Amino acid sequence: MLLRVENIHKSYGAAEILKGVSFDMAPGQSKVIMGPSGTGKSTLLRCINHLTPPDKGRIFVDGEELTAKNLNTMRQKVAFVFQDFNLFTHLRTVENVAIGPRKLRGFGKKAALDLAYKELERVGLSDRADAYPAELSGGQQQRASIARALAMEPKLILFDEPTSALDPELTGEVVSVMNKLASEGMTMLVVSHEIGFARKAADEIIFMEGGKIIEQGPPSQIFNAPQQDRTRAFLNVIEHGDDA
Amino acid sequence: MIFETLLSQMPYLVHGLTVAIGLLVCLLSLGLALGLVLAILEVYGHWTLRLVCVLFERVFRGIPAIVLLLLFYYGVTDYIEMGSFTAAVLALGLRSAAYQSQIFRGAFLSVPNGQMMAARAMGMNKLQAIRDIIIPQALRMSIGPWTNEFSSELKATSLAYVIGVVELTRQAKYIISNTQGNILVVFGVVALMYFVVNRAGNWALYRLENRLSLPGFEHRGDA
Ligand SMILES: Nc1ncnc2c1ncn2[C@@H]1O[C@H](COP(=O)(O)OP(=O)(O)OP(=O)(O)O)[C@@H](O)[C@H]1O
Ligand SMILES: [Mg+2]
Repeated sequence: MLLRVENIHKSYGAAEILKGVSFDMAPGQSKVIMGPSGTGKSTLLRCINHLTPPDKGRIFVDGEELTAKNLNTMRQKVAFVFQDFNLFTHLRTVENVAIGPRKLRGFGKKAALDLAYKELERVGLSDRADAYPAELSGGQQQRASIARALAMEPKLILFDEPTSALDPELTGEVVSVMNKLASEGMTMLVVSHEIGFARKAADEIIFMEGGKIIEQGPPSQIFNAPQQDRTRAFLNVIEHGDDA
Repeated sequence: MIFETLLSQMPYLVHGLTVAIGLLVCLLSLGLALGLVLAILEVYGHWTLRLVCVLFERVFRGIPAIVLLLLFYYGVTDYIEMGSFTAAVLALGLRSAAYQSQIFRGAFLSVPNGQMMAARAMGMNKLQAIRDIIIPQALRMSIGPWTNEFSSELKATSLAYVIGVVELTRQAKYIISNTQGNILVVFGVVALMYFVVNRAGNWALYRLENRLSLPGFEHRGDA
């Protein structure tokens, strides 16, 4: 298994947010996590790379357990793409992508830039390499942040609602980059309510509610014949709007 | 004639000015280095370190500059050998560090959380993230407020004359006592010299701020 999530628990104060979450991912798989707001999806992703250390439970990447000691090297294998991009504002797009290889992977300046241009090309942003993040559209910023993740050559990329800060017309360009990565065999764990991506690229949908996985299975099963009433009700809302 | 006196004394005033500027550069550098460290510890450090920093900052901001100068020169030189210039650099520099730490602290806090989070998420340790991501952004935001610090410290260098640093104000006093009088003219020239250095420094810092400003983060309009 590339990723093993084992019985993750997390509380904030008295509120237990994650109540024992476990699942595995094989190399090359894409999984989409769905579920109502406040259910702990972001908390789960953040626990996976210890941005928020879990209270209980274990995370294994490529068979190696993530601990406080190997945190920084393990995080290089598990990239994170944020809802609000978080590009480094003082660096040009290409420098945003090059900084990881340069500072963390021992690349020389030239090699890091070469790699950065290659990754920008992969997300269709070569022409904006010299722009600062504030000069990019939301969709371009998110594609740049995906390029930044790719430049770490990670084993796995975690995406936390990568398109929900974007206007609908910009969502498409990000989703198509994600589709392409999935088809190239990148292992991706995506929190998203983007049905298009989930149907086309996901090997499995994980449906969470109340800090637990309540249903999981291939998209065809989850979307066409969900077993749980809660899953069905939730999918009705996101597929047809609130009045469904 | 007064203008002849002024002309003949000019080399002393210019020398005094270079001493004042030397003192300014030294104290601001000490203040910058220590102020940055204090700010980093205050924002990202363990609470015990934070406490030490806050204490330091309160003490040095709470005592008049002139008293600090006297304390360092007459108090500390009893135990550690140092000249009046060194004592002035330490007294004013440590005080400047306290003020500068507040400038940098504000700047660190105004860098959005997501920047640190993204840096840590890619595998940077805390120090790397502070050095490569936070400081470059925070320093840019600090230049504006730092300009005020430059101005106050330039003026504060004149206080060093009380412990015998022969800087610009001290030179003026010498000239006045040697030439009996001319108080208004001599101090007028001295005032002009401080004023010009102050404006030049402000202008240079403003230029620097503009040069380093990032698209989307311009703080001020055109000059
Ligand atoms: N740092 C924190 N301190 C306290 N409570 C938190 C913190 N972060 C999250 N929570 C709480 O944990 C719960 C789960 O939050 P989380 O962001 O994981 O939900 P989510 O499933 O990602 O929701 P959404 O779909 O709205 O993004 C929420 O009730 C939230 O208020
Ligand atoms: Mg969330």
